[in-house]
Amino acid sequence: MGTFILKRILSIIPVFLLATLLTTGMIHLSPVDPAEAYLTAAHIQPTDEILAQKRQEFGLDQPFIIQYLNSIKKICQFDFGISYVSNKPVWDEVISRIPATIQLALGSLFIAVFVSIPLGFLAGVKKNTAIDHFSRVLAFLGASIPSFWLGYLLILFFSVKLDLFPVEGIGTWQHLVLPSVTLAFPLIAIYTRLLRASVLENLEEPYVLYARTRGINENSIMVKHVLRIAISPMITGLGMNLGKLLTGTIIVEAVFSWPGFGRYFIDAIFNRDIPVIQCYVLIGASLFIISNLLVDLIQMYIDPRISRKEGYKQ
Amino acid sequence: MFNRVHKQKTIILLTFMFILSTILLGCTNTSSNDVKSSENKENSNMLTFAWPRDVGEMNPHVYNPSQLFAQSMVYEPLVSYQEGGELKPHLAESWDISVDGKEYTFHLRENVKFSDGTVFNAEIVKRNFDTILNKIDMHGWLGFLSKVEKTEAVDEFTFKLTLTEPYYPTIQELAVVRPVRFLGETGFPEDGDTSKGVAKPVGTGPWILDEYKVDEYATFKRNENYWGELPEEESIKVKVIPDAETRVLAFEKGEIDLIYGEGTISLDAFKQLDSTGKYETSISEPVATRQLVINSKKKQLSDEKVRQALHYAFNKEALVEGVTSGYEEKADYILPTNLPYTKEIDASVVDYNVEKAKSLLDEAGWKLSDGQEVREKDGQLLEIELMYDSAEMIQKTMAEALQSEWAAIGVKLNIVGVELAEQVQRFKDNKFDINFFSNYGAPYDPHTFLNIVASEGFGFNEAISAYPNKADLLQQISMLTQTTDENERQKLYSSILTSIQDQGAIIPISYIKKIAIHQKEVTNFTFPANRDEHPFTGISIKE
Repeated sequence: MGTFILKRILSIIPVFLLATLLTTGMIHLSPVDPAEAYLTAAHIQPTDEILAQKRQEFGLDQPFIIQYLNSIKKICQFDFGISYVSNKPVWDEVISRIPATIQLALGSLFIAVFVSIPLGFLAGVKKNTAIDHFSRVLAFLGASIPSFWLGYLLILFFSVKLDLFPVEGIGTWQHLVLPSVTLAFPLIAIYTRLLRASVLENLEEPYVLYARTRGINENSIMVKHVLRIAISPMITGLGMNLGKLLTGTIIVEAVFSWPGFGRYFIDAIFNRDIPVIQCYVLIGASLFIISNLLVDLIQMYIDPRISRKEGYKQ
Repeated sequence: MFNRVHKQKTIILLTFMFILSTILLGCTNTSSNDVKSSENKENSNMLTFAWPRDVGEMNPHVYNPSQLFAQSMVYEPLVSYQEGGELKPHLAESWDISVDGKEYTFHLRENVKFSDGTVFNAEIVKRNFDTILNKIDMHGWLGFLSKVEKTEAVDEFTFKLTLTEPYYPTIQELAVVRPVRFLGETGFPEDGDTSKGVAKPVGTGPWILDEYKVDEYATFKRNENYWGELPEEESIKVKVIPDAETRVLAFEKGEIDLIYGEGTISLDAFKQLDSTGKYETSISEPVATRQLVINSKKKQLSDEKVRQALHYAFNKEALVEGVTSGYEEKADYILPTNLPYTKEIDASVVDYNVEKAKSLLDEAGWKLSDGQEVREKDGQLLEIELMYDSAEMIQKTMAEALQSEWAAIGVKLNIVGVELAEQVQRFKDNKFDINFFSNYGAPYDPHTFLNIVASEGFGFNEAISAYPNKADLLQQISMLTQTTDENERQKLYSSILTSIQDQGAIIPISYIKKIAIHQKEVTNFTFPANRDEHPFTGISIKE
């Protein structure tokens, strides 16, 4: 297992190198010159002299490979440069906004897990009953409603009409409810269906029949055996979505005025704040890798067969 | 064995979930206040205002991302810009200008204190000016600053500014929100360089920054020692709500008292809120003109007749009404006529006339052959590209309307949506046929607009290349700011603006306006004459 983790951690390196290559290359693909973008953001009139000076400062006059190596070196020291707009270190700006985003991501993950596990499980076990139909309708809605629209609907209904929650902002647990539900809704749709399908598949497995012949209590078979194994694809899905949740809360953060990382990124795009965009892409890539690693570990843990297989390979 | 391992795993899983929920709860503020009541009205004498961006650093000497309206709440100018371009004394009680137009002597108001109790005097004015002038790279865009030769504190309340050459807009430029406003002594950082930040936001303005949470809100309290008329409201809370629809919903719920600005909510939402009759709405005087800039350097657009034909060929009134639901007004002149020196412009007003447009194109040699839809001349099709900011709905819709209107006279218009940064870049690089632009408005215009028309590398200078009197125009523009005679200045403005407009490289489309919508309890709302100032002067909430 140790080797497995080590291997996975080592696999971060090529992805990191590729992500850095992409972000460094990105500057050259954009029609707008970063030096000019900086000067515009800083409200300095770009004369040829100042432009040349800034290009030199940013290392843009160096060959591409040198720029690439320089950015790797800096990133390894957590130096993502200075934001063109705020003139503060990008890393500090990002770090100060990450807790809000994590809070939102955890909130929605929490709701998604606690709704989709019972719902998906019951829909599978009680196939073609009312609860199964309900889960199907929910899945259709969840898959088709765009999250910004759902956000507005929730605000309109639960906040403006019923006055149960605040419209926007951060601070109390009430502030967290609507944005978390908005983010969780599409996840609930996916996981409910995923779990239902997996439960149905497992019910056909010989181990269920064997357990029944052993005279084990039906509820016990369902919860301790079927659910435990059937939940595995859902965890994979969750892991893949964890990275997405941490980086992809942009729309929900904007709709609910949530002061997180995603909103900061949107502003950076509009301001052509290149160091911030680079930092975001890199953090996004790292988060995807780390969350996938976490999923593998949890899965190994839940389904011992996986770790045994790994053990066998070793 | 299995059972024991299983139990262990269950315990670990439960612990994991427990930790997860603890983190989650830990992240939230668990105070048990009733959110609804505290959100709705925290203080009956507090006005809550929604703004799309964080107010930024309260530093009078920096730009983006600091928000102009917020800077103007805390810091004040020597001169203030009022209705119709009138320049009134503010921190300066009066001023004298030497006959040669180079020396400006300001007599400062004597009863003014900074919010920390220190006195506002000529010394601190000089210190602020010197700090700004040290960073002339940043501030050179403001015409008079690059012409400052000397700053002097003549006595405690007399400040003198000496310029290297006469520059008449100096007084008008002193009304801008940044960078020529005044920070108190204790606000300066140790090294004195405010471009990197201030120690404390100490100003003379009617408001003091009280509480600030990045990306969430900023609260300003009334400056009880304010030298002027004390604001009615005790405090103003600026909530940062980036999304326009959310601003509308928060307003409908009553969490917000006032929405104000340009494009802060969609015109549809404004119309819908207006139609409910539950709120007060108002629209300002024109703040700028939305223009089409035609690049006369391009072969097919070099003929004045073609440019005029394009102007005649679209129903401006219907276009503006249709696209902006009547919240913008059809513009006849390239600058709004409520700016200084813009009332006496003799340019001919162009009325919608398709037949005239067609005959102008015929005269210019662009003929429509039988069965063809696009005009031709010397084997070249009359094909033009219009560039617009893809994030701006009004520009996009106007571009689409123009495409169909101009198709009717045999002009093929290709419309290209680009990002704002690229639009600016292409305009500068002269890589456009037609572009959208709008002038800066008060207190920058009209002189700033003419200055950019004359500046190389901005776009306009190239755009008027086919004007036979281009050299004359540039010469006149360069003389303009040095004039010391009011009549002569007016004459120059009239002749320059008329000539630029008559030759058709700049087509005025509409006058841009600000909107405001507030709850019925809010009274005495007025739009500031200065486009960048805060709108809170005199505002109050009925109990």
